[in-house]
Amino acid sequence: MKNKKKSFYFDDYAESELNDNNKFNIVKVSLNKVTFLSFIFFSLIIIFGIKIIYLSLSPEKSFVNNNKKKEFVKTRRDIVDRNGSVMATNVILYDVGVRPKLLKEKEKKNLLIKLGLLFPELDLNKIKNKLNKEDFFSIGKRLTPEEKDQFWLIGNKAFVFDAKPSRIYPQQSLFSHILGQTDDVNNGISGVEKFFNEDLNSKEKINLPLSLTLDSNLQYLIRKELINAETNFHNIGSGAILMDVENGKILSLVSLPDYDLNQRVSISDNIYTNKITLGVYELGSVFKTFTIAAGLENKVINSNTVFKNLENSLNCDKYTITEHDKLPKDLSIEQILVRSSNIGAVRIAQKVGIEKYKNFLKTLGILDKINFDLEEIGTPLPFVWGKCKLATSSYGHGITTTPLQLARAYAILGNGGYKIKPSILETKRKPLEKKEQIISRKTSDTVNSMLRKVVSLDEGTANFADIEGYDIGGKTGTSQKYNSKEKRNTFVSLFPTSKPKYVLLVMLDEPKPAPNFLYEFPPSKKFPNGYKHKGEIRNTSGWNAVVVAGKIIEKIGPILAINNLEASIKF
Amino acid sequence: MINHHKWIDSLPKAKKEIIETINQLDYENPLNEIPKKDSYSSVKKYTLLTVIFICGLIFVSIVKNETRNLQKEINNLKASINLIKFNLDQTFLDHEIITTPENISLLAKKYLDIDLAPYKRSQIKQLNDKNEKIVKINKKEKTNTQKYKELYSRPKSIPDKIKTHVASRIKEKKVEIVNIYNEPKSLVTLERAGRWTVIQLVKALLGIPTLPGR
Repeated sequence: MKNKKKSFYFDDYAESELNDNNKFNIVKVSLNKVTFLSFIFFSLIIIFGIKIIYLSLSPEKSFVNNNKKKEFVKTRRDIVDRNGSVMATNVILYDVGVRPKLLKEKEKKNLLIKLGLLFPELDLNKIKNKLNKEDFFSIGKRLTPEEKDQFWLIGNKAFVFDAKPSRIYPQQSLFSHILGQTDDVNNGISGVEKFFNEDLNSKEKINLPLSLTLDSNLQYLIRKELINAETNFHNIGSGAILMDVENGKILSLVSLPDYDLNQRVSISDNIYTNKITLGVYELGSVFKTFTIAAGLENKVINSNTVFKNLENSLNCDKYTITEHDKLPKDLSIEQILVRSSNIGAVRIAQKVGIEKYKNFLKTLGILDKINFDLEEIGTPLPFVWGKCKLATSSYGHGITTTPLQLARAYAILGNGGYKIKPSILETKRKPLEKKEQIISRKTSDTVNSMLRKVVSLDEGTANFADIEGYDIGGKTGTSQKYNSKEKRNTFVSLFPTSKPKYVLLVMLDEPKPAPNFLYEFPPSKKFPNGYKHKGEIRNTSGWNAVVVAGKIIEKIGPILAINNLEASIKF
Repeated sequence: MINHHKWIDSLPKAKKEIIETINQLDYENPLNEIPKKDSYSSVKKYTLLTVIFICGLIFVSIVKNETRNLQKEINNLKASINLIKFNLDQTFLDHEIITTPENISLLAKKYLDIDLAPYKRSQIKQLNDKNEKIVKINKKEKTNTQKYKELYSRPKSIPDKIKTHVASRIKEKKVEIVNIYNEPKSLVTLERAGRWTVIQLVKALLGIPTLPGR
């Protein structure tokens, strides 16, 4: 229409209309084709471009995964001692299973022959039965890579290998009662493994080991001496704890018998309980120290007090309280402790009174359950206080507590009376943290000097622990087991008593007299020609637990780097 | 011919210029009026874009290839690092097990003849006494060497027995020295090396410097 209008004005233009239109159409068609082809071309380019960009950005899954498989990812934190020695760590161990369905009869026979040759310890009859009856069975658990490779090299298609991160304990049984164990899915089921389970599984700290205050070397030496004690005194069990009196850090905690943590065996026998934290016992005369400290603290006695005309025995209800040996009638406070007089202790407790004595023991944390870094904690048995209970408690009978609590109470008496919280977890102490003093310095000093005399004086009950140079003080305790004639002997020592640094508790369960044991001392001030005494029929703490404690201190002293007075003498 | 001016003058003045330009068009050959320049430039533009795009694609593919190679290398390195880490962990664990106090004491029992024990003052005293003895012995040795010096200063006066003895000793020593120079490795025996290692381990356990120094 438009063209027609134009032709109205431009005649000549109108004349050539037909020819021009054809030319325009040709151009239009050619342009449309180019545009269309370009469009397809660009579309293809864009599609391929997008694909290339997509491929460039996407990760190469298969390759990365292959490499990731090789990476060993820790799933639980290591546990180390105060020197950084590994106490528990994770490794990959293998479970090997067999799928008998994949084997023909001949192959089964071949497999049995190969297994018999390579693993003579395997029960082939059992395996033969399982091969014929079961769809799947396990042939080896917690195998090392080398052991797994032995199975792998057999080259049997029926073997199924399952790699699992497993917990191992390089120190084997050294810390068995402290570390505890984990289950198949790496969750703690006892000891530190259970108590710090969440912390040990924390992914943020996975590369930081959980550091404990324990020392492998000290632990080893103490354990070794306790094992030696079993040979010498034939005790059925024993325990020991070494604690820093200033901060309550536990450097060693041993309970025998123990077990290898790497051998997963369910232990149900009571003999395997942790004797230091879980065992609740009557610990005997070691309580006399608290009785005297209570008297001094409540100012009913002082270091010069002398009890005159002490009876040979006392009756309380149907029970008779006697002395363990013939003792002088008149005894000073110091002599009551040194000679371990039962009657003297009863007299002091009677002076203190039930309420004050009870409160004093509560202050020391003897009567309540202790808050500690393990699951296995014993609760002292509750009882009703009365005159007789006060009398027997004064010398440690009819009253129970755990050796851990006993050691803490001695540590408080030794450190100047400051409250401490026993711990096995290494923590940085806050510099501005104020210590709470619960017992006066004077009482602490007096008790320390008396404890020293228990060891150093000839009439003392703990002479065998007088290792020259270490200034050891302590108190013995001999108690009879409930409903048994057997004994439980304890010795709690503080050293050096001039300024106590450590408390060591040694407990022997059911020790026997040692008629063939050679009690000896090297030449010293006390025994210039040395001391030798073969065999002893007495079965009190002084004749076994004290000897063991002395040997322990002799061994661990140099490691603890105490200023050994003997060594510092110049000659 | 059309008289342009006749028509143009009759139109309103405002559109005069436009109409003039229209009139300048080549109506004879309207194909000439198709914007040739524009079509040429658009083709050029598209070609350029295509070339750039294709170059880009090639560049991307090169970069991609390089990246993949690098990624492979990184992954291989990561794999080898993991392997080394794993081996390190294993070695560390082995070290922990070998250096457990129990193992060291077992090794000490097996390889050391010395019975290690904590020292006591009395022992130190004895040691002191021994030192005194050693000092006395040293004094004796000094006087002896003086005698020997005097004796050897006059070689003719030396008895024949001593001369033959000394000669045989010198021969023996010479043979020994020759053997050492010929086979120096024979000095380092497995037993010696083992003993040295165990002593170092025990020293480390007891906190004694493993190598003597200040």
